[in-house]
Amino acid sequence: MTRREWIALVSTAPLLKAAANAPAAPVAVSRCASYNEDVTARLAEMFDQLGGLDRLVRGKTVTIKLNMTGSPGLRVEGRPPGVTHYVHPKLVGATAHLLGQAGARRIRFVESAWATSGPLEDYLLDSGWNVRQLLAAAPGVEFENTNALGKGRKYSRFKVPGAYMFPAYDLNHAFEDTDVFVSMAKLKNHETCGVTLSLKNCFGNLPASIYGDDAGIDEPNENPTSGRGKTMHAGERQPSKSAPPELNPKSSREPGYRVPHIVADLAKARPIDLAIIDGVESIAGGEGPWIKGVRPVKPGVLLAGLNPVCTDAVATAVMGYNPRSPRGTAPFRTCDNTLALAEAHGAGTADLSRIEVRGLPIAEALYRFEA
Amino acid sequence: MTLRPARWLAALAAFPLLASVPPPSGWVPARWSGANPKTLDLLSGTPINCLLLESYTPEFAGRAADHGIVALAVFKPGGDPSDPARKAIRAGMQGIVLEGDFPKGTAARVRDALADSHALVIELTSRARMPVGGPDAIIGTYQGVWPGIQVLENGAAKAAPSGSPWIDTNTGFIRSVRAWGLAAVWLGYRPPAHSVITGERYLEAIADAEMAGARWIVSLDGDLSSRLERGDAAALKDWRAMAQVLAFYESHPEWRSLRPFGKLAVVQDRDDALLSGGILDMIAAKHTPVIAIPGQRLTAESLRDASMAVNVDAEALTPEQREILKNFTRAGGTVLTAPPGWKGQSALAADQITLDKAELDRLNDIWHDVQTMIGHKNLGARLFNVASMLSNVLATGDGKQVVVQLVNYSAYPIENITVQLLGTFKHARLLTPDGAEKNLEVYPAEDGGSGVDLDRVSACAAVRLD
Repeated sequence: MTRREWIALVSTAPLLKAAANAPAAPVAVSRCASYNEDVTARLAEMFDQLGGLDRLVRGKTVTIKLNMTGSPGLRVEGRPPGVTHYVHPKLVGATAHLLGQAGARRIRFVESAWATSGPLEDYLLDSGWNVRQLLAAAPGVEFENTNALGKGRKYSRFKVPGAYMFPAYDLNHAFEDTDVFVSMAKLKNHETCGVTLSLKNCFGNLPASIYGDDAGIDEPNENPTSGRGKTMHAGERQPSKSAPPELNPKSSREPGYRVPHIVADLAKARPIDLAIIDGVESIAGGEGPWIKGVRPVKPGVLLAGLNPVCTDAVATAVMGYNPRSPRGTAPFRTCDNTLALAEAHGAGTADLSRIEVRGLPIAEALYRFEA
Repeated sequence: MTLRPARWLAALAAFPLLASVPPPSGWVPARWSGANPKTLDLLSGTPINCLLLESYTPEFAGRAADHGIVALAVFKPGGDPSDPARKAIRAGMQGIVLEGDFPKGTAARVRDALADSHALVIELTSRARMPVGGPDAIIGTYQGVWPGIQVLENGAAKAAPSGSPWIDTNTGFIRSVRAWGLAAVWLGYRPPAHSVITGERYLEAIADAEMAGARWIVSLDGDLSSRLERGDAAALKDWRAMAQVLAFYESHPEWRSLRPFGKLAVVQDRDDALLSGGILDMIAAKHTPVIAIPGQRLTAESLRDASMAVNVDAEALTPEQREILKNFTRAGGTVLTAPPGWKGQSALAADQITLDKAELDRLNDIWHDVQTMIGHKNLGARLFNVASMLSNVLATGDGKQVVVQLVNYSAYPIENITVQLLGTFKHARLLTPDGAEKNLEVYPAEDGGSGVDLDRVSACAAVRLD
């Protein structure tokens, strides 16, 4: 089957029924073979294809959730994490620069740094990032570790209309104190969710102080030192009582059920205004070096879109998968389809036939992660 | 005198037949086969000037002397070595190495037997029996962990829950030994058997010891030895890289006399401190500079530079030493003491060099508190993007010059390292084994300190700040 034949099949024969009213938005795709290319120029072109950044960010606070999953000390074959499982600092710097040019008043990079509530700047330095360069990329750049209360005085509560798992989530203030929310993700597989793109990236919005395995029983633990495996993946315990509990504690405890549903909830709770996906260099086979068998790959693409479900649908297709695949088929072999759940929430469509791709066509961007 | 490594190597290459050798503190040792004198040619252009020989021919001994190489005869336990030692000296050996745990008094008997020759007798004992704090010019052990990132059976790096790979190292042990005195410290452990040892692993073994001020007795596995004798190109390349790293450290002998730089002191009983994988190594893994203080050597002066102290073996201290710690806190210092009833290693067994699981579990009792106490504070230096590295931060007596030693235990170069130091420094220079030196920009960092960024470190490097 040729690339074009595959795309045609994916577009015309959806395996899951599309939600008719889910919004659709264009997705820009660009070839970027290396981080040594002019990443800023590629990104600027993509933002122009989406209608320009100015109208989205001028005079506003922009919060960008980075994908820096797992400890910076863990590496794939000793490589810098930006070329494997983290978004690359050059893409981050380019985004800051363009946001600044477009008139953003404040540019706040956030991530729930693995197992720590320390300054995000330290975490970035531990990842080999040049914090001084990032600060100089645009006026008003700042950082916040959203794994706990951080610089805020209280957590912000985000309600989920028609929630699957939790009626609301308590998050760091940065997710509320913003006009524009950007999810900057990596194009890669995920052991639990099949793919980890702009939607799954936001699973990291959850502070480990409340949703972590060593979260306080009653109140948040402001010095978390673990991940969220027992609490959120496996549901072996509830979050801190300060946050709303699960709607149905008797629902499946299987991570392949829980995590996609929570991610879909989060897409509804804290909507994503702009999705940027780094597929220049990445890994296949899992989300980080702790997954056995992951391997470095070079898809050589960047994606961006104003709707995260649409953007993730195109990204999933670029990875060689059908974004509407049901559970039990690749890439959702052992999990529910996060995109379909988000679509059913009304967050956006995963139906490729409704999504306009601008720039590089999917057929030309195709990089099969399971080739 | 300090020469750049490149010049140093050039000087050595030009004068391979050195007529004189340095004093014992300058001996750079290697285990060697004394069968083939031609192998001595491999030493030309390297800093190795001392060979440990378990057997040798008269021709080899003569040629070694011609090369200005100190040849030491090695004896293992089993019978009184006094007579064989005398014969070895008569055969041209310049010293004796007693490797193993001989019956007490053996070394003294051998020294008496060799009194007329003034030959040096060096003991390589178990860690438990090392004569720390004694008068010997060289003290050593045949034990050690093979340095490097612990790898699991599936090939993945063994990681703590916090995700950083664990690095096996002898540096905590060396720090503890050197805290007793400035004798040259030799580590005589050998490469692990039945393993493929890459060239990088040898560099790690050399640098792991040198960074902390000791010397690994260069010891090649059988495969590398035989390939070197055959003139195998890949083996020679590895050998040259080892020589380059050795030359890097040996061209900076002043580093051995620098003092630990930092604000955190660890007061620990001798036996606990001589185990690898303990509190010193755990702190080192966080790249927090640490001053090792043997409980037996605890004085007010030893705490002069510290603002925090971890008292690991509280019950082992004398009333006077406890008073010293009380005075330290009265002067504003912070002391973290092990929980009541907590007791460290009771008696170090001869074959034990690492903590066992039960001891590690006990150590975790205080490790959690140590981490909380350290937090994100800068206790002298903070280093970033160094998970596969270990560091040692040293300073001159007046504190005006600081040297940050870095050793990379991964097989890959590390890029974009950040070092933040307490204090104001104006100049920084990156020193690397290839002889290149590079000025680094010094910029203001948090807490009024100084920061420098390093583009790339391969096997090892040092940053000198003034």
